[in-house]
Formats: sequence, structure tokens, C-alpha cells
Amino acid sequence: MAAFLMSFFSFCLQLALPVAAVGILAVVVLLLSLTVSHRSPVRKCRPKDAQIHLLVVLGSGGHTAEMFSMLRRWTLEPSRYAYRTYVVSSGDNFSAQKAKEFEVNHMAEGKTPNDAYTIVTVPRARRVHQSYLTAPFSTLHCFWACLTVLWGQYPEQQHLPTEFSSPYPDLILTNGPATAVCMIVAAKLLRFLHFFLPFLQADSGMPKLRTVFIESWARVSTLSMSGKLLLPLADTFLVQWPKLGGRRAWWGMKRTRYAGTLVD
Amino acid sequence: MDEMDHDRMPSMAKHCFVTVGATASFTQLLNHVATDDFIQALQQHNYTHLTIQYGPDLAYVAEFIDRHKTDTARNGAIEVNGFDFKTEGLSQDMSMAKPCPSENRVGGMILTHAGTGSILEALRLGVPLVVVPNPDLQDNHQMELAREMHRQGYVVATAPEELCPAVRKAEDLRLRRPGWPPVENGRGPRPYIRESLNDELGFLD
Repeated sequence: MAAFLMSFFSFCLQLALPVAAVGILAVVVLLLSLTVSHRSPVRKCRPKDAQIHLLVVLGSGGHTAEMFSMLRRWTLEPSRYAYRTYVVSSGDNFSAQKAKEFEVNHMAEGKTPNDAYTIVTVPRARRVHQSYLTAPFSTLHCFWACLTVLWGQYPEQQHLPTEFSSPYPDLILTNGPATAVCMIVAAKLLRFLHFFLPFLQADSGMPKLRTVFIESWARVSTLSMSGKLLLPLADTFLVQWPKLGGRRAWWGMKRTRYAGTLVD
Repeated sequence: MDEMDHDRMPSMAKHCFVTVGATASFTQLLNHVATDDFIQALQQHNYTHLTIQYGPDLAYVAEFIDRHKTDTARNGAIEVNGFDFKTEGLSQDMSMAKPCPSENRVGGMILTHAGTGSILEALRLGVPLVVVPNPDLQDNHQMELAREMHRQGYVVATAPEELCPAVRKAEDLRLRRPGWPPVENGRGPRPYIRESLNDELGFLD
């Protein structure tokens, strides 16, 4: 019996070493590729009159209110940001309503109907009070929906205008929470795939799927959960209070940028 | 002094709007609003109307609202009203605290939980704002935001027990409050955003 246990134990040891080695290697590759991706500057190649497909992930109540407060204040030009996709979580009628109001009041330029935008509803990553046991599954469900949205194949998504050769949005803008993390991870994954399989890319080669995360104005000295998760992932990370400026995920990564009060 | 003011312009309406938000209940705030002390503090500063958005907790204010609704015949009394939620938002009720000479109304105040949506909306209206963070909430980043905004002089941040002194502090706020939104070093937010987005998109300069 003892001999059997001994041999079983040594077998496990033999197996454990290569598994651990592969695990460590995978983590190192992941960290390195995140660092390289974070540090590589964006090639300046886009002509001034290029049209942009902007994707905005809307959180809920307060997050959505902040997002539209910022968008109103920036006065995005509809000529440049020629197509907008808004992603809302299922059941969040407030955000969908706010997106419609914003389009009518600020982006329509007198055009009716305004067909330069679409609102997509994805399943929630985690409902309020949902058990942590089932949360991974709903998060995966949400993640898959985000990938499909980025491919432009989500059921309710309309066809992009013909000027846009790629289904991918050029810029992903968000201020949290859960769905935003799924979307940015999905964008990062697609960029990772395209980096290693460049022949998949059949378009102009312009920078695509670039991600901008803006920490909530309510965060004065601590990052939110989505902020912490996205610190090594978002390409540009803006904060609205000075204490949060200059943070980074680890050595060699880009720092957060204090942008002043962006809401009004 | 306050009494004299009251005699001079008895017909001017002055509104105080209280909101606890739509997500969590905040009974501690309601308990301190629904008191005769608070009514008295409002009367001292010539308020004529008190409107309470009480969320899910009608039980805490029902008797108080009822009592002060029927009292309005009394001279100098405050008219108290309340509602639970409004799907169209609170802009209408909040803007009652803005001065409006054509409707015979002077500027009032807004008393709110520390939700960012309500704080921003009140700041945009330019109405004196008293923020009461909910001490029962686990994550205290709301408390921190309220304190920082208080320190910079945009709002009065206070505890639920300190509502009466806050009514006077709101009057100070009416006289001197920095402009909203803040402009840092003479630069608005637009250059930062434009720069960041253009860099991210790789636009030629």
C-alpha cells in the first residue's frame, strides 16, 4: 500500500512540473504581450478626413449619466465620428433612452431619420445580487455577445454604411462597469489574434479596436473594480481626480492620465 | 433679520427638494427630514415648500407629509409634498429650487444622497446643494467625493443628524460658490480629450 502511494506521489510530481512550467510560461507570455501592446505607439497614418466608427459601452444609471455629460461637453463632430454603436445591458431602458436623446439632440444635424447609429442590447455580465457561482457563466455569455458585436454579427445590429470596410469599430469608449470589461477584453483578444494572424486582416490597416477607459468622476482616490481590471488593458486610461493620475499596472506599463473634470 | 425678510416678501415661494435616489433606501436621512426641527430651520430661512422624493420608504414620511399638508392654512407654514419615483427623472422637481422671478420664486436648495447623477444635475442647475452620504453603504467612495466637493466649496457635505445647521450653510453657498464645471489652468477638458482620442486613432497631425 505504502509503495503504491509512493509511486502515485512521484507520478504526480513528474506531472506537476511540466504543467507548472507551461502555466508559468503562459502567464509570462500574457504579461509580456500586454506590456508590448501597451507600449507600442499608434502609427500616425489616418488622413484628417477619415470617418470613425465609435463604439460606446454604456454602464447603467450614474455611469450612463456621466458618459452623456462628457459626450455633450466634447461636442463630437458627426462628420468625423460618422457612425456610432451604443452597447447597453439587457433591461437597461434608461441608457437606451439617453442614447436616443443624445443622437436626436446632438448628432442628428437636422437629418431625419438619423441612421448613423445603432443601439445593441447584450446580456448582463452579472445581475445585482446574482450568485458568484453562476456569475462566471453569465460573464462568458456577455463576453461572447461582445465579440459578436465587434464582428458586426449580433442579431439586432444593422449593416454598417458602405464607407466602413471593416466591421470593427475604430474606437471603443467606456466608463464601466462589467460589460465594459468584457468589451475591452474582447477587443484586446481580437487584436492579439490579428497580430499573430495578419492575413486575416483584409482592410486598410488603420488602427482599429483602440480602447479608452474613463474612470468615474465619483472615484476620488481609489480606482473602481473595472478600473483596476482594465488598468493593464485599456490603451488610454483617463482619470478625473489628481490623486488617481500616474497609476500603472506594473513596471513598464503606461500610466493613467489626469484629464481634469470631464463631466459637467 | 430673517423674520423681517419674511414680512417684506410674504408671497415669494422658496423650495427645498429632498431626494434619496432610486437605487437604495436611505431611511436615516428621511428620519431627520421628517422632523419639526427641520421644518423650523426651513421656516427661519423663509422656505415655503418642501418636496421629498422618498423612494421605497413611504412609511417613514407618510404621517409627516399628511400632517403638514393639512396645516397649510396656518400662517407661514411650509407646504410638504412627496413622491416615490419618477420615470422621467427629477429635473422638473430640481429646477423648482432655481430662482424664477416671473413665477414669483426665489432660489431654494437641494438636499441629496451622494449619488453622482443627482449631484451633477444640481451643480448644473447652480442651486445650493447639501449632500448627505449614506453612512450604511459598504463602499465609502461616495463619502470621499462628498468631502472633496465640500472642501472645494461646491457643496455642503453633512451627516443626517446635522441637517438644520446645513440649511444655514446652504445660504452661505448661495452667496459664494465657484463656477461649475471647474476649469483647470484655463484649459477646459476638450483639448485633453481631443488629444487623447486623436492619438489613439492615429490621426495625422
